[in-house]
Amino acid sequence: MTTPPTPNSSLPPRRTRFDQTSPPLRSTPSTTQESPPPVRPEYALKFTLKGHSAGISAVKFSPDGKWLATSCNPPPPLYAKLANRLTLTTAADSTLKIWHSLSGAHEHTLTGHQAGISDLSWSPDSLLLCSGSDDKTVRLWDTLSGKLWKTLKGHHNAVYCVSYSPRGTIIASGSYDEAVRLWDVRSGRCLKTLPAHSDPVSGVGFNRDGTIVVSCAHDGLIRIWDVGTGQCLRTMVEEGNVPVASVRFAPNGRYLLAGTLDSSVRLWDYVQGKTLKTYQDHRNEKWAVAADMCGSEDSDVFLWDVNSKEPAQILVGHEDVVLGCSAHPTEKVLATGGLDKTVKIWVDES
Amino acid sequence: MNLSLLDPFSLAQDYPETLTSELRSGHSTCIRFNRKGDLLASGRIDGAIVLFDVETNSLARILRGHVRQVQYFSWSNCGRYLLSASQDFRVIRWDLTKTGEEAMRAVRFVAPVYCAEFHPTNVDMFVAALYEDTPYLVDISSIKTLKLALPSGPLRRDPAAAEKHAASDSRHQTTACVFSSTGEYILSGNSKGWLNIISTETQKTVHSHSFTNSCITYIRLTNSGRNMVLNSADRIIRSVVLPEKILPDEIELEVEHKFQDVVNRLFWNHVMFSGNGEYVAASTYHNHDIYIWERSLGSLIKILEGPKEELGVCEWHPSRPLVAAVGLESGKIYIWATTNPQRWSALAPDFAEVEENVEYEEKEDEFDIQPVEDVKKRRLHLETETVDVVTIEPVRGEEVGGWQMPVSLLEEETESEEENVRIEGPRRTKPAEKKEGGEVKGGGARGR
Repeated sequence: MTTPPTPNSSLPPRRTRFDQTSPPLRSTPSTTQESPPPVRPEYALKFTLKGHSAGISAVKFSPDGKWLATSCNPPPPLYAKLANRLTLTTAADSTLKIWHSLSGAHEHTLTGHQAGISDLSWSPDSLLLCSGSDDKTVRLWDTLSGKLWKTLKGHHNAVYCVSYSPRGTIIASGSYDEAVRLWDVRSGRCLKTLPAHSDPVSGVGFNRDGTIVVSCAHDGLIRIWDVGTGQCLRTMVEEGNVPVASVRFAPNGRYLLAGTLDSSVRLWDYVQGKTLKTYQDHRNEKWAVAADMCGSEDSDVFLWDVNSKEPAQILVGHEDVVLGCSAHPTEKVLATGGLDKTVKIWVDES
Repeated sequence: MNLSLLDPFSLAQDYPETLTSELRSGHSTCIRFNRKGDLLASGRIDGAIVLFDVETNSLARILRGHVRQVQYFSWSNCGRYLLSASQDFRVIRWDLTKTGEEAMRAVRFVAPVYCAEFHPTNVDMFVAALYEDTPYLVDISSIKTLKLALPSGPLRRDPAAAEKHAASDSRHQTTACVFSSTGEYILSGNSKGWLNIISTETQKTVHSHSFTNSCITYIRLTNSGRNMVLNSADRIIRSVVLPEKILPDEIELEVEHKFQDVVNRLFWNHVMFSGNGEYVAASTYHNHDIYIWERSLGSLIKILEGPKEELGVCEWHPSRPLVAAVGLESGKIYIWATTNPQRWSALAPDFAEVEENVEYEEKEDEFDIQPVEDVKKRRLHLETETVDVVTIEPVRGEEVGGWQMPVSLLEEETESEEENVRIEGPRRTKPAEKKEGGEVKGGGARGR
């Protein structure tokens, strides 16, 4: 495949692409494919976890690989502000669930949020879970007991995204109030409020050593901040200010992966401020999907090869938009969740 | 990893400039950063030890064990163990992975402890200098504590001189002691200005050097162990270069610089090196300032204006231009750091900051109109670079591994909000102040 497809074009017949041979493949940042031989990932659906009564907004494996946490966000999850909030949100819908990652057994249901949950993040020791909700709070949960530990209050509007620092002492959260806040986990105080963006902040993420934090927003900007001083160090923008839906650092911290609402996922070299790779083929114009691998609005999950930019595998099975996906830290296991209220676990047994 | 994005001019500034913040939890008397620089241990007048997280300025943990003022700290290189010496005649080795009684290993002496310093590689061994008593090398590897007495008097090669001074030498008292970088030798300073090098294995003095006639109050080595500063009661700070390998028969200790304030004749309360050893800083007696000298030429480069109180123990962060010092009266920890203005060009990628007006030269095709689709296609074709998103390149100055303090879920290990108040900018009085006042009176006399 030499001519990359243009965005917004109708999707090519995808399954035929698998027949082609291509250079060594690796699934996008997930560390699931460590061996260099040219093996395509062969993930197959293993479990479907049902239990949430509304769409799944985020799915995350714990860093120790034992658990899978999912958060539930009654519709409309992310564009609530624009969509005139027509739902009758009940507290019962706004739950987090923790599952055993490999067996799929249900462990805890964490209740307490007053409105839908948009994002969640595990602490590095896998003991704490933080969640950001439309009720303007960030909550910390003790995952062993399943109890609420702390509530971080301060945002003026719905919290859209949260991220734990690699040391586990700071939480970054982005909100519809257009600010990024850094919280001290131990005391629950807000350390800094970064006047980050001019539109809802859709993604935050720390790099490997926790010295910088990245944020992205619907104003099309990706900004990098110094955690110590709270100063902006770099701003990246794609032509046309396409809203950025999610962002994260590559595992080694040298690149940024950002998903934008023009149906693209881009890999940025943030030091030079330029795009290195553009991954397309999927459709993403409305929902903020996780750019870990990538969920898609055509209810499939895409895995791309980092260097050749070709989709390495497309996971078909969900019945509605896929919003969250996560790769297991050590095993070849993926988890995805979407608006069809199910979580699916995919295992590559080859 | 943020270094690649920072302004090179702001990185060139490697000593602090302004008082930026204050930390407080009780009345602090003694502080020390760990090797990695993520925790600051603060010993209080009531014997409690508070660990502050440097990144967030929050209280990470409280260790309760001592009943009197904490006098001295030493961190193990891995950051997992902390040694604290106190006026309650005890030294406690804390294992920070454990809680409660299990975390403590206390060693009782017969006198208040001046200082206790870890062996650089063996966390079961430390040296302790005591108030008017023999110093000890202590081994706590087994349940039974092994204390080995160390000599205090100087080694005199000439037997005649040794006999002549025998009476006076026996009155020498060790006031400060540390291990050399390898742990093979102990460097101890005594009340008559001698520096003794004692073999760790045999506990015999192998070399002695007289630097002054007055008491050596403090010895500090750089992290590399190649440089040493001595603070002494004669108002002079001496910096000494140590050889890479100490050979007792050939060693020559020479004073590299003498730092002093000739005009005001100031005493120095406490002295320390910067993380890289290029600077020496000292807090002053009956004065509010911290003096910073640079070591290559020995010149004074900065006097940090302090708060309106005398400063005691001061410490330099191991990797950042950040100095922390304890106020003797209030017991607050003051922090000096660098301040950098926001670079505005970082906020808008298509703008650049220029010093003066520049004539802009337009590129040949800059305003050519091209079909958007073509441009996009061409750009996608250019993305041929091979990227590696997994391999981690080690960054200079980044410590790999080491023990890290977890976030504790247990409420009793941290304290209520009003005792741990962080104040920025102008100082305000807090309701907690009154309670602390009572503790000060109960705590008895301060310092040495």
